[in-house]
Amino acid sequence: MTSPIPSPATPDCCAEFARATGVSRRGFLQGVGAAGLSYAVGSAVVTVAGASSAAADGVGGNGVLVVLSMRGAADGLSLVVPHGDPIYYKARPTIAIPSEKLLAKDAFFGLHPALAPLVPMWSAGTMAAVHATGMQVPNRSHFAAMEVVEDADPGSSERVGWLNRLIGELPGESPLQGLALGAEAPTSMFGPQPTMGFASLDKAVIAGADSQTDPNDPRMKSMAAMWRRTRSPLKESVQSSMAAVGQLTAVRKSADTSASYPNSDLGKALSSIARTLRGNVGVSVVTVDQGDWDMHSSLGTLQWGRMIDNADDFAKSVAAFFNDLGPLADQVTLVTLSEFGRRVVENSNAGLDHGWGNVMFLFGAGVKGGYFGNWPGLSNTLDADLTVTTDYRSVLAEVVERRTGASAAKVFPGGPSARVGAMRTT
Amino acid sequence: MPGKYKPQRYPATPKLNGRHRQIASRFTYGITQPVVASVKQAGGGLPWARQQIAHAYSDVAGDLAKSDWWPSQHDDAQQVWKNQTSGMRGSWEVMWDYSRRLMIRRMLSENQLLEIMTEFWEGHLHVACNSDPQSFWRVSYGDVIRKHALGRFDEMLKEAALHPAMLLYLDAGVSTKAHPNENLGRELLELHTVGVGHYTEDDVKNASRILTGYKIDMWNTWAFKYSPDDHWTGAVQVGDFSDPNSNADGQQVALDMIHYLAHRPETAQRIALKLCYKFVGDDPSDELVNTLAQTYLANDTDIVPVILRLLRSREFNRSRDNKLRDPAEDLVAAWRAIGATMAAPSTDADAANDMIWQVGAIGLMPMAWPTPDGQPLTNGAWASPRRAMASMQSHWNLAGGWWPTSGVTYKPRASWAPEPSDAVEGPITFGQLVDHMARLVHGKPSTQSVLKACSKAAQVPPDEKITTGHRAVGSRLPYVLATLLDHPTFYSR
Repeated sequence: MTSPIPSPATPDCCAEFARATGVSRRGFLQGVGAAGLSYAVGSAVVTVAGASSAAADGVGGNGVLVVLSMRGAADGLSLVVPHGDPIYYKARPTIAIPSEKLLAKDAFFGLHPALAPLVPMWSAGTMAAVHATGMQVPNRSHFAAMEVVEDADPGSSERVGWLNRLIGELPGESPLQGLALGAEAPTSMFGPQPTMGFASLDKAVIAGADSQTDPNDPRMKSMAAMWRRTRSPLKESVQSSMAAVGQLTAVRKSADTSASYPNSDLGKALSSIARTLRGNVGVSVVTVDQGDWDMHSSLGTLQWGRMIDNADDFAKSVAAFFNDLGPLADQVTLVTLSEFGRRVVENSNAGLDHGWGNVMFLFGAGVKGGYFGNWPGLSNTLDADLTVTTDYRSVLAEVVERRTGASAAKVFPGGPSARVGAMRTT
Repeated sequence: MPGKYKPQRYPATPKLNGRHRQIASRFTYGITQPVVASVKQAGGGLPWARQQIAHAYSDVAGDLAKSDWWPSQHDDAQQVWKNQTSGMRGSWEVMWDYSRRLMIRRMLSENQLLEIMTEFWEGHLHVACNSDPQSFWRVSYGDVIRKHALGRFDEMLKEAALHPAMLLYLDAGVSTKAHPNENLGRELLELHTVGVGHYTEDDVKNASRILTGYKIDMWNTWAFKYSPDDHWTGAVQVGDFSDPNSNADGQQVALDMIHYLAHRPETAQRIALKLCYKFVGDDPSDELVNTLAQTYLANDTDIVPVILRLLRSREFNRSRDNKLRDPAEDLVAAWRAIGATMAAPSTDADAANDMIWQVGAIGLMPMAWPTPDGQPLTNGAWASPRRAMASMQSHWNLAGGWWPTSGVTYKPRASWAPEPSDAVEGPITFGQLVDHMARLVHGKPSTQSVLKACSKAAQVPPDEKITTGHRAVGSRLPYVLATLLDHPTFYSR
């Protein structure tokens, strides 16, 4: 360890210190760290941040992880079609996607035609699909499943999300290390580590402060005074915001490239993320949500329905994101997750009810391209599921190990030891 | 400098104390001076709540008239569809108007407790306001909830679960006997009644079978009809409820199942817990939840006895200020606090129309939560940095009267100085001005924290005399007002 930042004895002591003093752990570390660093590298505090200091520490990987949640339980069998399983076509007389229309086909799988914008990444070997993933036991409640998936700690009743644990394992002290776009406060980020989030960059300001960077601004001083000692549940977020807006002011100076994205919530969110990453302000972990995959009816066909629109937005947004990142794409891995999959057999409304197994996508840095997973075989009964053969934590743990240097055992306590092999080892 | 920010007092401005303030805080959308007066006049918080309950439906038409600013809200499903197809007004715009009218009702209605309870039940039996098919029937769905909000849950559920808006939202309206759609069947069990862990997958399938036969003539007349040909027949069992279900008309079976579910102890527990989340705190005791659940069951799902039991509990009384206002509660309370007057809107930029964009930026338009679980009642969901920054932005715009600028009359800055009072001689100090304003905005006197923050933001020392034309009631007034709106006290209810 060559980091100039003094490590606390244990993270627990630090969290306790933070709670006892009302100072967030990150704020505390930043105070200490800034002093140490200004000695080492001058006044360039802003450039010192999670991702880059991880590299300096040589802790293995300096990757940025973006987790895209496809809310509502996306139908993995439409996105990555098992055309080689004859049951697929029998079970879905209306909504099955004809084999000849599929992209990136191998003998068994093919991609939904709306994923065409992603084919260049597929061809370049930086896109992977892991099929038949999910929780070990079916949970068909959106709300309960989402919480279990995002806590990813079945042995514990504590509400701490896996990304919050990951942030706790990573070096770095930027108030922007954990960043949430879109969702209010995703369960995956919930926990003792402070995180940051905003709707869009231009909205990430303290209103009424003439300067976002001057702690002596009257509004800043007033806010700091009244939020220092309070039991308000909003306290940590106000303090995180005040700590981050100065750096975000610098980020806003970088070019706005949102015109190259779809004009959708996902497109806007990913463009804000790319811009923030270009600002080099120490972001390590990002969550972004895309809703509306809950297609009990009107999932539709290649001519109409909700799947083609959603898949189109998803593909265009992700493709634009990696194009926009340019050379930074070498550091960014994006993984998708949905709370569960949908039934094999279509219902009478060109839709699908709640099922079990699903597909996970991996894009970008460190990804070994291709189709992965153990195919369980489909069955054609009214309530048949895609059986889960790969624990979703196996996929996430592999990304964490290969890209962040954090301990997968700490991020996923009691998680599976099996790995899929969808990430490169070097 | 010890004592520099010791709060100063302006006692002439009335306030509520202790449990009276607690009741008003939880059962209104912000304690204004008229609320203070009505609680005092009633003789305290509990008698005020009883009055609110007794008078809730005494003048329904008059109550609505105060917020009846959007003609689209009078259109039936077929008219909404006609207007959409003719390009006159899209159903999504009708839903925006719905959110707007809800906010104005919360702002202006004197039946605050009814509005609060309507929001609670509308969230519990959530039908999202968006452009999906339910939008054509959504306005009348809200009326159903409001009508039952202080009535019996079993009656509310029977009407709500089988209302065309719900049938469309959760796909029962397109279900078939060949392949019953499970969306409503599942959420009726999981969200509306017994909750996760208290039903089986077979219960979902059977509930879904029972709910077949309800049809809506979609994309045409939007008329509702019951179609016996589409009803799945055969024996069904949901929990301990069973029925031969041999009649092609399954409507009575559906009503019986809903009645059974509304009266389940698990449903009682779930509703009691959610009431506690809304009105007591995020970690209520089992004892209180059990007590409320028993009250619910003992009163045949009647809601008022449960509310009164909650109000009388020690735990409620002790839970002061621990709930975080959600986005709409925040914005409505801010509008109430700043004493601005809104007019019926005529353009999109007018305040009454524009406010849904403000509340959307803070986190959520009323009833627009995207999933059928309804908007969260616990603090964590609304405690994000994004929300904090967006709230500050809205507070700042309102405090300065900078946005919105049309369809609204802001209170003149100078009028925030209190009227001369016998209790205070000569010009008041800045500290006294802050105390007066805290009573108006927070419904309680200032604290050291409030005075210090206001003084720093406005750059006015606490003891400075505020004479006519002073910047504290001029150019720096927005800083004082924004500080009060941004203070942790304002975010709590």
